[in-house]
Amino acid sequence: MECDKCDRDAVMHAGYSGAHLCEDHFCASVDKRVRRRIREDSMLPADATPEDPETWVIGLSGGKDSVVLTHILDETFGRDPRIEMIALTIHEGIEGYRDKSVDACVELAEKLEMRHELVTYEDELGVKMDDVAEKDPMDMAPCAYCGVFRRDLLENFADEFGADKLLTGHNLDDEAETALMNFLEGDVKQVAKHFDASIGGFDDRNEQDDFIPRAKPLRDVPEKEVALYAHLKDLPAHITECPHASEAFRGEIQQLMLKLEENHPGTRHSIMAGYEELAQLAAERYRGDKDGDGEGVDLNECERCGSTTARDVCRKCRLIEAIEAV
Amino acid sequence: MDVTVEVVGEERHEVSVGSEGTYADLLAAVDLSPHEVSVLVDGRPVPEDQRVETDHVKVLRLIKGGSASSPDGSESR
Repeated sequence: MECDKCDRDAVMHAGYSGAHLCEDHFCASVDKRVRRRIREDSMLPADATPEDPETWVIGLSGGKDSVVLTHILDETFGRDPRIEMIALTIHEGIEGYRDKSVDACVELAEKLEMRHELVTYEDELGVKMDDVAEKDPMDMAPCAYCGVFRRDLLENFADEFGADKLLTGHNLDDEAETALMNFLEGDVKQVAKHFDASIGGFDDRNEQDDFIPRAKPLRDVPEKEVALYAHLKDLPAHITECPHASEAFRGEIQQLMLKLEENHPGTRHSIMAGYEELAQLAAERYRGDKDGDGEGVDLNECERCGSTTARDVCRKCRLIEAIEAV
Repeated sequence: MDVTVEVVGEERHEVSVGSEGTYADLLAAVDLSPHEVSVLVDGRPVPEDQRVETDHVKVLRLIKGGSASSPDGSESR
């Protein structure tokens, strides 16, 4: 089967658009979607200059998503003096699994000559996820602890490195799953937060002084296409499932979404198109009303670690305390 | 036509498809979605809606199954 744009063999078919593309035209189309998203969301501010550059910290896990993101950002902005990029890798203390993906990160950063920083749960928090999963003092899924720790470290180190933005490799499937989960859980406040925290264009978001703004330049690209891109470009991506993975609800939603996409191509795109519009409306409604009860919430510093929190002690410190008590 | 479907790192299946059968039909027979794998023929990815023209394919699992290995965790609660 031929490429729609040239006479070479197609390597993929996109059911949602009907396109058949060869390797070169497929990779170009991924690059184009990522660059368009960066432009449309105004990720690069007009006042960034070589003298006063914008700093982007990229969450680089070594999985295909963050590896593809880092590769495309380097190709697009690697020589642009208005932007400084730093790759940040977090080692959760998962033996075997994370060691290999850290190798992938180091290899990529060396190849791209990009500054690379590695931080570990063990050094920063005094815990390893392998032990946390075993002790499990709160009777939760391992991902529930890990997500809190990872967000805390990403935020704090991005801040330490002077980041203007924190970029992550979330793809279209990730975002459509999160959208469906928020919707099915009936959590409109979370939808509002999602808009201001990471999916709104930078011109449309509410200023959030307490947190480093997030951006997800891959969020228009289906997961399969991200993986295919990594495969075709022979990028050093590590594709193995985390041994502690256990987010049952997300797994159920993923299966449902793949089924819908097969029967109705374009479902993921239309979920996100509608969700983004609703999320903006929700964000406008809930701004300054963080509890939904007319009372705003004051954020302050955690009295133990200094992280931003609405309580005296942040969630991360409370979890660490529970783990250490076992 | 009989085709060997080799899911890389997992099991092999023998699948029969009609003369109009596509690679997507092979995937359906082994209960995989075209959105979670790529089909490789002689090491090259092929469009899933293409007619099967080989007796051996490799299937590469591309995406995590049901986990949240997203780089900053989930943004839903």
